[in-house]
Amino acid sequence: MAEKRKYKKRYCKYCEAKVDFMDYKDAGALRFSLSERYKIMPRRLTGNCKRHQDMISVVIKRARAAALVPYTVTRKHVVTAPFENLK
Amino acid sequence: MRNYENLVIVKPTLTAEEIQASVKAIEEVITSNGGEIAATSPMGMRKLAYPIEKNERGYYHVIYSSIAPSAISEIERRFRINEDLLRFVTIKYDTNREKAAFNGMVEKAKKAAEAPKVETPAVETPAAVEAPTETPAVETEAPVATEAAAE
Ligand SMILES: [Zn+2]
Repeated sequence: MAEKRKYKKRYCKYCEAKVDFMDYKDAGALRFSLSERYKIMPRRLTGNCKRHQDMISVVIKRARAAALVPYTVTRKHVVTAPFENLK
Repeated sequence: MRNYENLVIVKPTLTAEEIQASVKAIEEVITSNGGEIAATSPMGMRKLAYPIEKNERGYYHVIYSSIAPSAISEIERRFRINEDLLRFVTIKYDTNREKAAFNGMVEKAKKAAEAPKVETPAVETPAAVEAPTETPAVETEAPVATEAAAE
């Protein structure tokens, strides 16, 4: 085929790493599936598979309840380097 | 008996001794309701992602235990009454995969408790105390995450 693929083929990074269980306490690892405003990134952008997207969404919601990850970031309440405490 | 993980956030306004006493009282609540504590892991004083009751920081403590499912509601009721607690999160580990992960975390917590040997007071310099176990994984993660965000 002469036509080139427009985008890189998407693949699930969690499948590649063979992730079987995610820990909500490890907030740094959740960063990949969060947007700049700490929304959960949609699967079509990250390339996560359904199984891992379901896992990550549950884990992110737990981390939010435990105040490890913010629910929202507004202009008034800007989180400056929220993962600094993981240093 | 089922495996549960209780994460509690204790008020940062208390002194180090008061925090330790409060954590003891929390563990007491679990044991007095027929729970068996497998391991505990103090995560130390951290900045909260959002203020809770106008507190910017909180003392995190995780308790891994096996508790009868019927006792959970009573334990949570006691937690809700406790004024020292800003927040608690109870997680159930029920499926085989979750159980395996639970046992892994218990082992890790036990090892972490044995390794430093310093009974973590963790109020003035909490970062240094929890550093040895947590740091490497997070630091390798951080640059990857920022790259992903940049794209
Ligand atoms: Zn996957």
